[in-house]
Amino acid sequence: MADLSALTAAVEAGDRKTAVDLTQEAIDAGVPPDEILDAMTVAMTEVGRKFACNEGVYVPEMLISAHAMKEASALLEPLLAASGVTPEYTAVIGTVQGDLHDIGKNLVGMMLKGANFEIVDLGTNVTPEAFAEATKEHGADIVGISALLTTTMVGMKAAVEAVRAVDPGAKILVGGAPVTDEFAEEIGADGFAKDAATAANVAQELLVA
Amino acid sequence: MRHRDRVAMALAREEPDRCPMQISFTPEFAERLRADLGVRGMLNVARGGEHNPHGGGNTYELERAIDSDLILSSVGWANNYYAGHDTYTDEWGVTWKEHPYETPFGTGHYTEMVGFPLAQDDALDSYVPPDPTRPELYDDSERVIREYRDEYWVVGVTVTTIWETAWALRGYERLLMDLLTNPELADRILDIPFRYHLAAAERLAAMGVDMLWTGDDIGSQKGMLMSPDTWRRFLKPRMAELVSRVKAINPDLKIAYHTDGDVREVIGELIEIGIDILNPVQPACMDPAELKRDYGDELLFWGSIDEQKTLPFGTPEDVSAEIRRRVETIGAGGGLILGPTHHVQLDTPLENFWAMIDTIRETRYT
Repeated sequence: MADLSALTAAVEAGDRKTAVDLTQEAIDAGVPPDEILDAMTVAMTEVGRKFACNEGVYVPEMLISAHAMKEASALLEPLLAASGVTPEYTAVIGTVQGDLHDIGKNLVGMMLKGANFEIVDLGTNVTPEAFAEATKEHGADIVGISALLTTTMVGMKAAVEAVRAVDPGAKILVGGAPVTDEFAEEIGADGFAKDAATAANVAQELLVA
Repeated sequence: MRHRDRVAMALAREEPDRCPMQISFTPEFAERLRADLGVRGMLNVARGGEHNPHGGGNTYELERAIDSDLILSSVGWANNYYAGHDTYTDEWGVTWKEHPYETPFGTGHYTEMVGFPLAQDDALDSYVPPDPTRPELYDDSERVIREYRDEYWVVGVTVTTIWETAWALRGYERLLMDLLTNPELADRILDIPFRYHLAAAERLAAMGVDMLWTGDDIGSQKGMLMSPDTWRRFLKPRMAELVSRVKAINPDLKIAYHTDGDVREVIGELIEIGIDILNPVQPACMDPAELKRDYGDELLFWGSIDEQKTLPFGTPEDVSAEIRRRVETIGAGGGLILGPTHHVQLDTPLENFWAMIDTIRETRYT
């Protein structure tokens, strides 16, 4: 019997090799791929919770957990696709036009992926038009817009407007060091999160609301 | 009162006539200020007249015109910020790209790192770092000490001392993960900028700067970037060595440490290794009054004027009120050099900038 709790522990510890080995073992033992994926999702949720609550998880710990999951879950992807299991939700994410900073946005992507979202990462310096286009093309449920700088943060407003124009129903989430709750509200975003783990929670809350 | 006496008094925890200040600006803000002041002449001869926010090569017209009390002279990797246009590669092999942003006051540019010479593990074996003993690196600091030290408090700058230069060599996420997954490799990479900036810091100390400005961004808006244990393993011992070696050259030299973000988890340990001054004290994530209460007997402060909200988006009244509040709290009894928490950027209205300068100049301690 494959040990899924050990897989959860390996992802949580950021132990890439063990996570990959245990995933392969579970596949070989015939465990359904969505169950294996769930074991990893549980781990990333816990990593995110500890990060948000300052319980010993910092950016390096989050990164190695996310990379362990990424490598291990790559083994599952063909199996998930073959069995018709696809992520329930799609998130389009990117850093706002004029801004090249991406670690916050990448962490949000990792946490959303950990929560089993399909991620369309538009990278950095993303124009409002590109956000809008990707929202339409991928039928995004969540659009995540990031900015590190006071000078680029103001450009989030144009991105929000462009997305609204093509899809009034998409839930728009904003974040980044200078961004506040008030600013999010002012520019018409649906949600704000102060860190990557909270972003994944807020995204899920917005979709069930 | 001479500028340097004002700073010396504040750092001795006495109240001078007014709180000393140090203000830096991005190149485009410097241009705007130059036009506003009608200042003529080159701001930085070596850069074809373009201003260096860290002070390497500047001619200091603006700093003197606004009544700044400190003059900075920088030796080290950080001088490569704003060092070129379009795409350029610095002498460390880091590739930069100029990147525009729009503000109500025109188009500004950041320079961002896009190419990392040690991205591949094996690149380290053949990597040759720049030589910090080249005499010409210190020509500018010699001039600054000669021309300005009688009047101003001269700061030798070796910021991006360890961590930031190291990740510029390796890549940010890669080095963050190396700390946990490949510590030996991380040590080798961290040693490259550490050795370089240690040599520069020792040289600047021997030349007679009044203060040394070191630092690395180890904080984020919500807390430490890496765990305190990771910081203790990789960065604390190196900083401790730098501080002790520089103070062996000049025991009176003040050492400032720059880090963005909320770093309350390690402030006690920065004091323990001999850091005298914390910069920039980002008020959007650490309460300056609380820091004064908790650490004011052992630590001096530099910065504390909010650049996330007040300077770019506030009113001149907001700016003035914040400065008066700082003088009364974190600045009470001295121990503070006022300054914005980052170089003033193009998004700051000139009215706010002048409200900052005028309020600092007019707010009397007694």
